[in-house]
Amino acid sequence: MTTEPPPDPTDPTDPTGDTDGTPGPGHPTGDTDGPPGPPNPTGDTDGPPDPADPSDPTGDTDGTQETAPRSTGEAPDRAGPEVADLEVAEEEPEPFADGPPPLPTPMLVLDGTLPDEPAPAPEPEPVDHGTCRCGGAFDADGWCTECGERRPDPRHHFTAQPSPTVAAVCDRGIRHSDNEDAMAVWGDEEGRAALVVCDGVTTATRSAEASMAAADAALQVLTSSTDAPAERLVAATSAASAAVERVGQDFPDSAPSCTFVAAVVEDGTATFGSVGDSRGYWLPDQGEAHRLTTDDSMAEEQVRAGMDRASAEASPLAHTITRWLGPDAPDQRPAVTSVDVDQPGWVLVCSDGLWNYASEPADLRAVVRAEERRVGPDPLDLAQALVAWANDRGGADNITVALARTGGGATDRPGEEAEPTVETAYPEENDAPAAGQDGTHG
Amino acid sequence: MAEFSATVYQNEFLPDGGTDVHAIVSVTCAGAGTVTPMSSASGEAGEIIIVDVSGSMDVQGVRAAAYAASAALDQIVDGVWFAIIAGNHEAALCYPDGTSAAMVRMSPQTRLEAKRSLQRLAPGGGTAMGRWLLAAGQLFGSVPTLTKKHAILLTDGANQHETPQELSWAIEQVRGRFQADCRGLGAAWQVEEVRRIAQALMGSVDLIRTWDGLPEDFAALMEQSMGRGITDAQLRVWAPQGAEVLFVKQVSPTLEDLSSRRVEVNALTGGYDTGAWGDETRDFHVAVRLAPKAVGQEQLASRVQLAVGDEVVAQGLVKARWSADSLLTAQISPEVAHYTGQTELASAIQDGLRAKALGDDATATSKLGRAVQLARETGDEAATSRLARVVEIEDAATGRVTLKRNVDKLDEMELDTASTKTTRVRQQ
Repeated sequence: MTTEPPPDPTDPTDPTGDTDGTPGPGHPTGDTDGPPGPPNPTGDTDGPPDPADPSDPTGDTDGTQETAPRSTGEAPDRAGPEVADLEVAEEEPEPFADGPPPLPTPMLVLDGTLPDEPAPAPEPEPVDHGTCRCGGAFDADGWCTECGERRPDPRHHFTAQPSPTVAAVCDRGIRHSDNEDAMAVWGDEEGRAALVVCDGVTTATRSAEASMAAADAALQVLTSSTDAPAERLVAATSAASAAVERVGQDFPDSAPSCTFVAAVVEDGTATFGSVGDSRGYWLPDQGEAHRLTTDDSMAEEQVRAGMDRASAEASPLAHTITRWLGPDAPDQRPAVTSVDVDQPGWVLVCSDGLWNYASEPADLRAVVRAEERRVGPDPLDLAQALVAWANDRGGADNITVALARTGGGATDRPGEEAEPTVETAYPEENDAPAAGQDGTHG
Repeated sequence: MAEFSATVYQNEFLPDGGTDVHAIVSVTCAGAGTVTPMSSASGEAGEIIIVDVSGSMDVQGVRAAAYAASAALDQIVDGVWFAIIAGNHEAALCYPDGTSAAMVRMSPQTRLEAKRSLQRLAPGGGTAMGRWLLAAGQLFGSVPTLTKKHAILLTDGANQHETPQELSWAIEQVRGRFQADCRGLGAAWQVEEVRRIAQALMGSVDLIRTWDGLPEDFAALMEQSMGRGITDAQLRVWAPQGAEVLFVKQVSPTLEDLSSRRVEVNALTGGYDTGAWGDETRDFHVAVRLAPKAVGQEQLASRVQLAVGDEVVAQGLVKARWSADSLLTAQISPEVAHYTGQTELASAIQDGLRAKALGDDATATSKLGRAVQLARETGDEAATSRLARVVEIEDAATGRVTLKRNVDKLDEMELDTASTKTTRVRQQ
């Protein structure tokens, strides 16, 4: 049999599953529907089957004579108990030529009992794409699954800590939608360090790529040459400038540009080179704090012309720079200065996103001290704290801070004026963290 | 393997303090294939044909319905489970003719038997469509491996042998259990009643003017169903914490407010069953209300996904960006505007015809006039020509119309049934 109605276990009369209406052996007339049985003048098909029906001794297997065990209500009027002629129906029926055929048997009336619906399948495990600051998980599509915030671009906030005494943080700030600042830093167990910060010019295109390329190229030179620091800084500036030009070649319709500041710390001396308005400071624990770079900016020119620094740096033109790195730059030689740093203190280079909120060296040192007291002497923690401090003040620009601890390393100075004799040893070399930028976002 | 894609049309810019984000998400399925009846992996398909055999069908109508059912049987692929219900004030199992509620697999043999069984149909009794629906749910439930369940329901009259409450109750019982395309024959059936069934069961509703149109329509419906190789797909709408999903509507090819179909997928995501898919495009209108953010901020307003089984097969991202630039924020997406107009058009037609039926000519004139105006604005020429058979259009631009006298009831019903069919956005 080709038909497969699910077998009805309650139907003892259907052992063969024969449902096709083929005449059974007891039906030589071809009557598939069983004998009509007693006449049913009322048309009532809902009565129980008549087990004693003597005219059906074979237990007619097609079951069509039997009425639904679960049927309810009155059956509609149906044709009388005439018998269909099966001999004709072996062919494709041409059913409707002569009006509706007689209804040989009652149809099963369905009572509409619905089955239980299956339980839904469990949700698959989510894949980890990072955690949003709201606590929700980021989706593969780059947005938070809870609050809908966009997953931060790693470029928007990244950090580096190549040695225990050197670290840097580069952050988008609050107001800007992109981070065009960049940094690259290096340090070793002897306390040597190289710090580079570049600030892409917002009005030029591709400045985010330009500043990153410049910083990387400069650090490469600063850490691979044995020349004196001043010469190395000049060479590093040239390499950075060339890198910016290469970005410009990749995007010939734009003239990307950026500032440049770098510091080399070795043999008790910090040497600074700068083009533009990113800055280098020397902030000793004892003694006077110094700014070691001079801005190439309209503000600085106004100061030179006699204006007081606070007014000049607050003026609308304050951040218009007069020198920069890039294909259209008039003069890319760095201004180089140096200072003795053989005592405990911090060499700090930064973009204007930080110094906008603390320009004077003494003010900046006060901020650094306050934050160091709060978060401790780890240079990465301190750099993060300084970035957060600038963001708390509005984060109007991108913020980059690079720090190198000098003169015996990070200290646990308890008070305002620490004893100069305090020295905290570096961790054992084997415990030193691996150098390199970590590129995390937060 | 079927491929799905989703495209989002929206203006993501919101003014300062703006909260409501509207988007049209267009989901396209390609390579759906046909139903694969023997594959156990994707489940199996079942079809039930429900034919009205009430007394009003008369001998001629029942014969035509049986012939149409026979044409539909020819379209059912071998191996698909099927059954035929004869409906009047009860629901009887015309085929398979056994002693219990069951379905059988299609084969040359069962197709022949089923056609033979159709000969048994004769007019008599009343109309109780709720019972027909429950019976179909019962039969589908007898084959647990079914994942695609589709029925064709034919009626020619109003649901007189059941209270509206009984019908509503039955609809709620079977909602989501199977899909049903519904057809009304002649002018004696109630469009709103049958539309209610079709909308709850994710199917179409249409008018068949005379019985000679039935076989072709049934065959086409069944062929379309066989071409829907994606057995069951769910639209999923995510909105962020604290946001409110204002509504989710299918707006093309037909208008269906899906909002009430929402089932929780997770705390932030609602699932809306969309039934089976063939190679086709469906457009959805999603509206989300957000907590406003500061100018310059952006956020994701909604993820609109199509899921087949547990797998998300397409996703569109609806975004929000707050801006102070009124040039950006004042623009309305042409797609959103078009479907908003088409939605209003459907309501205006339905409200107008309802008022007309109640003898409220003033409301009918005003609503149908607005419909004429909207049909013109959204470039829906088919709607305009259907409206023109019910009202005299004096000025389409302003919507000035008068009600026609001696309107053919069938024209009015056709306007009603077709009101939820939308046109796509004209290419700019």
